[in-house]
Order: sequence, then structure tokens, then C-alpha cells
Amino acid sequence: MAEASDPDRTEAFTPIEEHPWVSPEDSPVTVVAHNVRMRYKVQRTDRKPRKGLAGKLTRKQMVSVAALRGVSFAVRSGEFVGLIGRNGSGKSTLLRTLAGLEPPSSGTVLTSAKPVLLGVSAALIPDLTGAENVKLGALAMGLTPAQADAAFEEVVELSALGDAIDLPMRTYSSGMAGRLKFAISLAADPAILMIDEALATGDATFAERSKKAMDQMLAKAGTVFLVNHAAQTIENMCSRAIWMERGQVVQDGDAVEVARKYRWFAHNLAMGEEAKAAGLLRDAILEGETQRREARLFEPASAAETDEPHGRRREAPELEPDPFTQVFNARTPSPKRTFLKTVLPDDPD
Amino acid sequence: MPTASEPKDAQQIIATLESRGLRAENLSPVGVRPSLDAYVAQLWERRHFIWMDARHRVVTQNSRNRLGNIWLLLRPLMDAAFYFLIFGVILKTTREGIDNFAAYLIIGVLMFRATSTAITSAPSSLHNSRAMIRAFSFPRAAIPISAVLRQGMQMLWAVGAMLVMIMVLGEHELPNIMWPMILPVLALQWMMNLGLSFIFARLGFQIPDVSQLMSFVSRVLMYGSGVIFPIERFLTHPVAASVIQVNPVYQMLRAYRGILQHGTMPPPDAWLILGAWSLGLLVGGFVYFWRGEASYGGGQ
Repeated sequence: MAEASDPDRTEAFTPIEEHPWVSPEDSPVTVVAHNVRMRYKVQRTDRKPRKGLAGKLTRKQMVSVAALRGVSFAVRSGEFVGLIGRNGSGKSTLLRTLAGLEPPSSGTVLTSAKPVLLGVSAALIPDLTGAENVKLGALAMGLTPAQADAAFEEVVELSALGDAIDLPMRTYSSGMAGRLKFAISLAADPAILMIDEALATGDATFAERSKKAMDQMLAKAGTVFLVNHAAQTIENMCSRAIWMERGQVVQDGDAVEVARKYRWFAHNLAMGEEAKAAGLLRDAILEGETQRREARLFEPASAAETDEPHGRRREAPELEPDPFTQVFNARTPSPKRTFLKTVLPDDPD
Repeated sequence: MPTASEPKDAQQIIATLESRGLRAENLSPVGVRPSLDAYVAQLWERRHFIWMDARHRVVTQNSRNRLGNIWLLLRPLMDAAFYFLIFGVILKTTREGIDNFAAYLIIGVLMFRATSTAITSAPSSLHNSRAMIRAFSFPRAAIPISAVLRQGMQMLWAVGAMLVMIMVLGEHELPNIMWPMILPVLALQWMMNLGLSFIFARLGFQIPDVSQLMSFVSRVLMYGSGVIFPIERFLTHPVAASVIQVNPVYQMLRAYRGILQHGTMPPPDAWLILGAWSLGLLVGGFVYFWRGEASYGGGQ
């Protein structure tokens, strides 16, 4: 394998030995995604002004952007799943779809309980004090006033805000607001918690506290999803990692194993070694193929029944906004056929 | 591995998972529309949130102004004084057969405003609450309900301002025993506003252009309901006259004026027309809004 033969790999990453969550051997399934797809129609405007009436009329056109291209997996209770991948790989869209906040274009999501996305800040009012917002946020998540009062002390304790809890929330630093947000989300005692880049704002003390709070939740047979750009965080905390690229699962497996492969890939990409990164990605995709096939619940019926690109008539042309796919265009003679179609097929299902 | 063409059924997925030795008994689809009675039950569970959200938003909206919440009273007072100055003092308008035109105008303008606000703000309400919709799950009907509650709280101040102004200005309407009867009319108006908000919230979510149309609709409604002049005097055509008669906003304003200016109970047909519209709009609007429940998180 590519990374094994590379000598500077160990120098670039010295793995920090922490204690990631170890998931139980046998537990009920809590979240199932079956062939989840998400497609947005977006208006694209040509940057260069065009001449003539025909040019002006065709300057703006609707294009179709795929955010998720058939994601399937099953997650059991007690699992701490990290979602990694580059910007725009579909992590946050997947999380919103799993939480039931955004309906997928096609596919099904089943859960054993109502998932809570760490996004309670949207319900909070900046002019109110932290304490009033704790109450408001708890009610927003569906707690009764009595439950909200009961959870109050715990929330204030976890947020570590002290007397600042009685100041208007607009006076808080982003770290303080982030801590309060996280603490309120845990007040609902969710069975399925989904966190999108939230823990980056807290400091070291808070990171320790939040880790403890989440481990407690996992021990009570909960399930946690965590989206983070820093694969190191996933490696340190999670039991399982899902690497996303171009709206598809590249690899899904042990957190340490997957996160390290991703970090090596991302490191090469950041260093400008695009050809090497592309090779690593290709290896990872090939390696994950068996696992992806197993995650699929049903065999694809026929090519005609998949919804793109040759089956149903599409109203808008496809747009590929990801600049990284341009890398393949430059290196391989016919990237669409040799790389994308064979190794990263548009529709695995 | 079973083969099936595009399986969407939750039962099929659970069966397949269980055939692979996984425990999948408690799974249910996420993000689907609940049944109507389950939806009402969910809304009822969130009543504390809706109430607290509306109350705090009304209280905090003026917190950065020097005068704070005094503006809630000051704004309708200034409006009423302005209309009195223009029509009662400068133009010296005296409509034939209308005694105390100043009170007629103040009641019309201030009471119509809540309905007009409900119509014009509803189409963009789901878009404006986008952050909240995409952040956590709750019955989306909470958004129009909270908006109408806020408008209702502001309207209570406007009603107070109105009562003071019709006593002070013009021909001094004095309180009579019938004045409390405006409360049931007010309740019917809120029901109507809520129903309209449900309908236009979903319409405006599907077709954003609706919000551009609403200020026009609101103006048509204003002239068609006798807000600033008695429309019934100018429409002699029988069809037009009967259309005006079934207009709930017209009936509502006539009821307010009758109670406040003449101390007369609105006739039964006025109650019937207003009540039927309010109840019909509320129930129909709620069902219409509920049918779109699963879609409100979508779009980019």
C-alpha cells in the first residue's frame, strides 16, 4: 500500500495516544441510511458577460448539483461515529438528512429515536441572558418546564459559564456561546446526538468535560455522530469513522484506521502532491468496495432504474463544482471513463 | 441478499437487516409527516416553547431603543393622532351619515393593521426561520403560531391606544357597557389571522413571489373592507354589495365600530359570517399547512 511504503509518514503524524470510545459488540441498530441521495438545483451565472440577446438569455441556467450519491450504512447503539472528508464532500448534508431536517431526494432513513442535531443556537435569543436561553433552548427541544428547571443546574455546570450565565448572550465570546449550546443540547438527554463542528470552539478544559458527557451518553446506549475536519479529533474520540468523498462513502470502519488513511491523503493534498493524493484516494475506494457492497441492503435492480445519468430525463445539466476532480482531468487521459466510472461509479446502487 | 427494485418500505429494510442478524426492531422512518392528531399533540407539547419564544421576542425587539417597550404603545398612539390630524382637523372631513369620523378612522386603521401584518409577513415567515428549521425538529406550525401570538401581543397595546384616542379625540366616545364585547370579536380576528398565516406561509414557501403580491392584496382588502371610508355607500350594484357583505374583514370592522361607537351588539348574521370565516380559515389553513410539513426543511 502507498502509505506503508512512505518513509516520511511517521514523521508527519505522531499519533496521540488517547482513549477513544469502544463500542459494544452486540447492540440494536439505531440509525439506518438506505441509498440516500440529495440533489440540489442551483442557478449558475456565467461570469463573463455575453453579447447579444441570445447570450444574455442563456447566461443564467439551472444546474444540478449532487450532494449525496447513494449512501448506505447501519449504526448500532453505543457507537460513536465520526464523519470525515474534505469541504463539500457531503458530511453536513448527510447529518441534516439523518436528523430528518431535510428530506432526501431519494432513499430512506430509519432511526430508533428522534435524533437531536446540535443546533439549538438557532432558537436562542441574543438579547436574553444565558439562563433565560437555557430555559428557552430546553423548551425548544421539547422538554416540559419542570424538566427544563430540573436540567438547569446540570447545564450551567457543564457550560462552565459561572456568573456569566446572568449576562445577555450577545456579550458572550464565541467559545462561551458554543459551550452553552452544547450543554443545552445534552440537557434533552438525546438517544441519538449529531454534532456538526461544534466542539472546535471550546477550550481544553471544556473538551475534557464534553468528552466525559458524551461518554456517559454512549454508556447509556446512545449513539453519537460527529462531523469534524480534523481527523485527529475523530481518531481520538470515535469508535467508527466514515470517510466521505463526492457524496459517497469511501471507507467505513474502525476510527483509527480510516482516520489515519484520510489524514495521510489530506496531508498529501495539502502539500500539493495531488497525483499521490489521487492514488491514495483510489486505493482507499478500492479497499472500501467490499464493505460498501455489504452495506447495501438490496442489489441494484437494473441500470435503467437508477435515477442518473442515463435513466430518467434530467431537467438541468450536471455541474461538478469540486475542483479536486479537475486534478484527475489533468493527469488521466479520459478521467470520466478510467477513474470516475470504474473506481468511483456515479451510482453504486 | 434479496433483490428488490428501489425498496422504500421501512418494513422491507427492517426485514433485510434482521435477516443479517442485526437487531432492528424499533426503527421508524425519520422526517415524515405525522398523522394530523399526532401533529396536534406535538404542537401541544411545544406550547411552552411557542409561548416563551413569542413573549421574549416581543419584549426584546425594542430593547436597544432608548424608550424600550414604550414604543409598543407610542407607535399606535402616533398613528391615531396622525390620522385624526389629517382627516379630522386639516381636511375637516365629515362623511354624510357618519358621526365622529375620527373614531371611525382610528378604529378602522388600528384594528385592520394586525390582519394586514399577518397577510404580508406570513409568506416569508418560513424562509426567515430557516436557521431554526434546519437546526432542530419541532412541528413547523409553531412558526406561524408564534408570529401570530407576537402580533396579538402587540395588538393588545394598539387596542389600548385606540380606546384612549377615541375617548380623547374628536367627539369623545365614552365607555359603555358593551365595550367588553370587542373581546370575542378580537378572538375571531386572531383565529382568522392564524388561518391566513398558515395558508400564506406554505404558499410563500412554495412560491416565494407570493410575498411580492401580498402588499397589493392587503391594499385591495383595505379598500374593500371600509377601513378608511365606508365602502358600502359607494357600491350600489347588488352583486358588489353582497360581496362586501360576506367579506369577514368588513364585518369585523363594522362589529368593532358598532360596539365602540354606538354600544350596539353586532347582529346575528355578522357573527355568523365572521365566525364561519374564522373557523373555516383556521381549520382549513392548519390542514393545508400540515400537508406540507415534511417539505419545509428542503430547498437550497
